[in-house]
Amino acid sequence: MKAIVFDSGTIINFAMNGILDILKSLKSEFNGKFIITEAVKEEVIDKPLHIKKFELEALMIKKLFDDGVFELPYDIVVKKELIAKRDSLFNMLNHVFYARNEFVHIVDKGEVSSLAVSLLLKEKGIDNVLAVDERTARMLCERPENLTQLLRKKLQTSVDMKGDLSFLSKIKVIRSSELMYLAYKKGLVKLKSPKVLDALLYASKFKGCSISFDEIEQMKKLENV
Amino acid sequence: MQEKEHVIKLLKEVKEAFKKNNTPRLKNLSNQTIHAASVSQDDLSIAIAVIVYSLSKIMERPNYRDYPKWNQFIKKFIHNIDKARDSLERNNEKMFRKHLESIERIIDELTGIFKVHIKEVFARARINKASRIYEHGISMEKTAKLLGVSLFELAEYAGKTAIPDIGLSKTLSIEDRIKYALDIFNKNTK
Repeated sequence: MKAIVFDSGTIINFAMNGILDILKSLKSEFNGKFIITEAVKEEVIDKPLHIKKFELEALMIKKLFDDGVFELPYDIVVKKELIAKRDSLFNMLNHVFYARNEFVHIVDKGEVSSLAVSLLLKEKGIDNVLAVDERTARMLCERPENLTQLLRKKLQTSVDMKGDLSFLSKIKVIRSSELMYLAYKKGLVKLKSPKVLDALLYASKFKGCSISFDEIEQMKKLENV
Repeated sequence: MQEKEHVIKLLKEVKEAFKKNNTPRLKNLSNQTIHAASVSQDDLSIAIAVIVYSLSKIMERPNYRDYPKWNQFIKKFIHNIDKARDSLERNNEKMFRKHLESIERIIDELTGIFKVHIKEVFARARINKASRIYEHGISMEKTAKLLGVSLFELAEYAGKTAIPDIGLSKTLSIEDRIKYALDIFNKNTK
């Protein structure tokens, strides 16, 4: 078995760009599970269903959920086990960065629940990647020292990192930009134009994917675009 | 909340900047609050940041002054800032909170398009401040909850900023990240 664990931002990105059909096509090709946690479902479906501005996006995402493109993790993970993992991770990650005589609360339960699922799947030997567009969770997994430096720079105060986050480096992070790249490479994008990859990558960036202009240009070069 | 003396000083400076119609200074004061609010994450510091930023945006629009209720609106706005500061000087945090809350309630007394504009100013200020806190390294979901904005709005706003382009944001090479994506897709499983 294999899975992609989705955080809210990645799904929101595809929805706001009006290309949720690409996610559906990717799922058809994947031969594995696209997993979301209950907290993520709440952020991408339940809450926006009550916000007129994003009601349509919420309905479209709900359709994917109802059609089984996205599923909750409970076929693989016991709910109680997930809650325990999420809560311990939530507590730990919010007690790592110390500034101005207090710990900086840097993450919330949705993001942490996605991290928790990814770790639990690893523990069960299930290969998975985490799809997350926002920067903080990615930095926690891949370069927490960069996050310490960033906090120091932005808060304009000393920040200490208390705790070892190396266990998070097991989590492999991708973003909506990589998913769009993959869809392009596999010919799953219906639009036909030499500009398609460029358009997809910039669309991902402008809807909140934490990817730099340089990274986009590097991705285009890989495909000779 | 941030240190009392700091907030009192800040609100005095807000008043001075308002009198001089110094909108860049108002924005700067709002940003100063965000540094502390990113750590403390208390609702009052966040409310101050939003109110001061909204005031700067309101003062930037001379056409707002043509609305019939402008004088009454801005007088009440500044009166509540003064009263909030007075309350804090008297260590009355309950009244301090009440006066800050009153500022957003003044909007409900407005009518017509002016009300729509001012509501929009406050809504945009919340998204702007959320984006600033996200920029400081706090996660997007955490930030959205602190400011009471949706993840959809925040993602869209943050996507137009230079947040991903600063060097520290890069945590893995493009080749390695694409490999993660390709490997998981190409892996054969039962």
